[in-house]
Amino acid sequence: MKRNILVAILAGLVVIGLLLSIAGCSPQRLRMATTTSLYDTGLWGYLEPMFEEKYDVEVDILSLGSGAAFEYGKRGDVDVLTIHDKANEENFVAEGYGVERVPFAYNYFLIVGPKDDPAGIRDLTPEDAFKKLFETKSGSFISRGDNSGTHSKEKAIWQAAGFDYATVQESDWAKFKDGGYKEAGAGMGQILMMANNERAYTLTDMGTYVSYKSKLELELEPIVKEGSILLNVYSVIAVNPEKVKGVKIDLANNLISFLTSPEIQELIGNYGVEEYGLQLFIPCAGAEPK
Amino acid sequence: MPLIETVDLCQKYDRRDILKNINLRVERGEVFALIGPTGAGKTTLLRLLDLLEMPTSGKIYFDGRDATESKKVRFQMRRRMAFVTQKPMVFNLSIYDNIAYGLKWRGEKKGAIQTKVNGILEMIDLSAYQNRNARTLSGGEAQRVAIARAIVTEPEVLLLDEPTANLDPLSAAKVEELITGIIHQYRTTVVMATHDMSQGQRLAKRIGVLINGEIIQAGDPREVFTSPQSREVAEFVGVDNILDGVIVSQEGGMVAVKIGGNKKVEAISDYLAGEEVYLCIRPEEITLTLSETTSSARNLFIGQITRVVSAGPLSRIELDCGFRLVVLVTRRSAEELGLEKGKQVYATFKATGVHILRSN
Amino acid sequence: MSEIWQGLVKAVELIVTLDPEVMEIAGRSLVISVTATLLATIICLPLGSLIHFNRFIGKRTLINLIQTFYSIPTVVVGLLVFILFSRIGPFGVFNLMFTPTIMVIGQVILISPILLGLVITAFSGVDKAIPETAHSLGASDFQTVTLVLKEARFAVIAAVLLAFGRAISEVGLALMVGGNIKGFTRVFTTAISLETSKGDIELSIALGIILILIALIINIALNRLQQR
Repeated sequence: MKRNILVAILAGLVVIGLLLSIAGCSPQRLRMATTTSLYDTGLWGYLEPMFEEKYDVEVDILSLGSGAAFEYGKRGDVDVLTIHDKANEENFVAEGYGVERVPFAYNYFLIVGPKDDPAGIRDLTPEDAFKKLFETKSGSFISRGDNSGTHSKEKAIWQAAGFDYATVQESDWAKFKDGGYKEAGAGMGQILMMANNERAYTLTDMGTYVSYKSKLELELEPIVKEGSILLNVYSVIAVNPEKVKGVKIDLANNLISFLTSPEIQELIGNYGVEEYGLQLFIPCAGAEPK
Repeated sequence: MPLIETVDLCQKYDRRDILKNINLRVERGEVFALIGPTGAGKTTLLRLLDLLEMPTSGKIYFDGRDATESKKVRFQMRRRMAFVTQKPMVFNLSIYDNIAYGLKWRGEKKGAIQTKVNGILEMIDLSAYQNRNARTLSGGEAQRVAIARAIVTEPEVLLLDEPTANLDPLSAAKVEELITGIIHQYRTTVVMATHDMSQGQRLAKRIGVLINGEIIQAGDPREVFTSPQSREVAEFVGVDNILDGVIVSQEGGMVAVKIGGNKKVEAISDYLAGEEVYLCIRPEEITLTLSETTSSARNLFIGQITRVVSAGPLSRIELDCGFRLVVLVTRRSAEELGLEKGKQVYATFKATGVHILRSN
Repeated sequence: MSEIWQGLVKAVELIVTLDPEVMEIAGRSLVISVTATLLATIICLPLGSLIHFNRFIGKRTLINLIQTFYSIPTVVVGLLVFILFSRIGPFGVFNLMFTPTIMVIGQVILISPILLGLVITAFSGVDKAIPETAHSLGASDFQTVTLVLKEARFAVIAAVLLAFGRAISEVGLALMVGGNIKGFTRVFTTAISLETSKGDIELSIALGIILILIALIINIALNRLQQR
């Protein structure tokens, strides 16, 4: 009896061993954490096969909020990040976890909302729009609430408008039963669907908005489109192998070269133009725009 | 040297005494019946003999060797015995496999297995059904399979725990027939538990009476039947007439005992006058007459019938003679004599038919 | 209602045309959950018989503990596995994060309590006279356990089915340690979760229907096995 238990356990270990070896035998794998807004635009679906073929590597793409992306990067569970959260990105590099922050494309955030603009914030500056929303409480706003790049940008605008984010979170406006300020903790696509359903305002990146607008026939419209604070820069950062063990720096560097190469930069610039009639991403090849 | 021997065997469960000081000997080739009322401890004792459990205290010797030596030794001994449970317990396999597996596990060759199993199937009269799943059988058929399964490995000891208790009379008869056949053919040592006195009498050469965890009496069936050594044994073996009394006279081996209703019964005994005793009279030892007769029987009492119960070919008649008496006669006689409630009759029985025991 | 109908139509369309992405997700879901169930069975059958057939101190407590973990939340197991196998974790050196392998390991951990507990229950349902009889007839421990297994086969197969069901239908673990990577670790449940959050309800319904169909087929197949 005891002998047979041992045999069974050994058999189990053998199976596990086989599984492990299968995992190891596959072609080189690069793990990339990307932001959900970038993922949902489909840009990676478009670029991934090209990269994989050129460098003979398999890319595992995880669609996460920026907060999770930074965490996974620090743990070494991903090799490279593609995100849009400048402040936190600079920290990440400053603390030694990232090698270098390499911007590769940008677009703009938009404040979208219902066509009839109940809070009357159309064409104000982003800071004034937020101020009016908070003071009049006459519209609803849905926040990402998930430490994503978009969420960081929203917090920055509140700051610029003169409000501590905590004040907003704890205000009466946030305690409305119907409407008011809500933190949803979900990806951009889902937030857009919610805002559409509840006729609320939200801050969104252009790429996700454009692709969801046509796919789901959203009734949301861009209400505030201009303002330098709305600049949304996407960067790629390789995780630093000196601080984080086991990350694949060579493959990460390949990705960086790929994204900043002229041909790909051109492709990025043309992505979505035919389908949506506007440019979703403006290439910027490594340099910080504006 | 006995094949099985227990010395002061005791078994306790949760501080309750199930078996107390069992001293038993079973000789090789013997058929021993363990009889007793339900709950007396028969199953417990059989399970101990099968070395399925360890006793609280005391020793068991199998073929001269101490069975408590080691687990391995116990296992080897168990392989030389076979146990048949009260509730027919068959494996969820075909009848053939049920019987064959024991041989398979013992490493016998396929050909030998086939011969043995087919032989046994003939014996239990189930050859035609050998491929049927044993779980689809009736209780009686399943029990025959269980017994066949037990005997095919030719064990030295066959332990049967009330093998017919859960069966209807027809199946019970068939199973008994099978057991008898096995005893004759294989000459296996058999220890059988039963609460059926007459079954014990029919099948066994020696009987042990287990009451409340103790073996009160062991010996020849006839002896136990007619000369119970205690009140409990007497009650169990079907002595319906147990009368309390006091010896009033002793004369040359013959005593007069005063019992209830101021009557006197004569019996054979060496006990002294003044001793408190009780008398055992088997109901079939009493004869009923419609008129007073003169016969060699020493005891004659007049009484009135209080109850008549007929079952099959027999009738049980209860009388009030100043004390209660139960008599067993043939139904035919009861009818011919017109024995019914209220009738006055005479009951006679011999002094030699009275079994006398001390009260203590 | 029309949404469900459209989902049904789409489901049929995807199956009939053998849509490659759906086939891939189906294949992966099955391979991962079947492997996990097989592994868990290999571990839990002997372990269950060890626990059931032996007496030892704390046996009752152990069984209670196992039963407590029957419905452990999948995200809790996910978190545990994540912490253990993350690069900086104790088993990080195996580099298993976000691979199908880690999903198998996680599912094995998830379903083992229920499989183990129900196997022990299955054994308990067999009259103890059976193993006792087998023993005295000369069966070795292993042969006895095999016999008891045969007696308890209905209950054991039911347990395996239940464990498989739990494995293939969970999403928390798969998401956390698998990462829902397209073409690598995406399975039915994580795909449905993603498509729903993207608003593609129709595709989600279609995937859901296919998942239920697969579960049904496996159930019927194992039931056939039970009959014999």
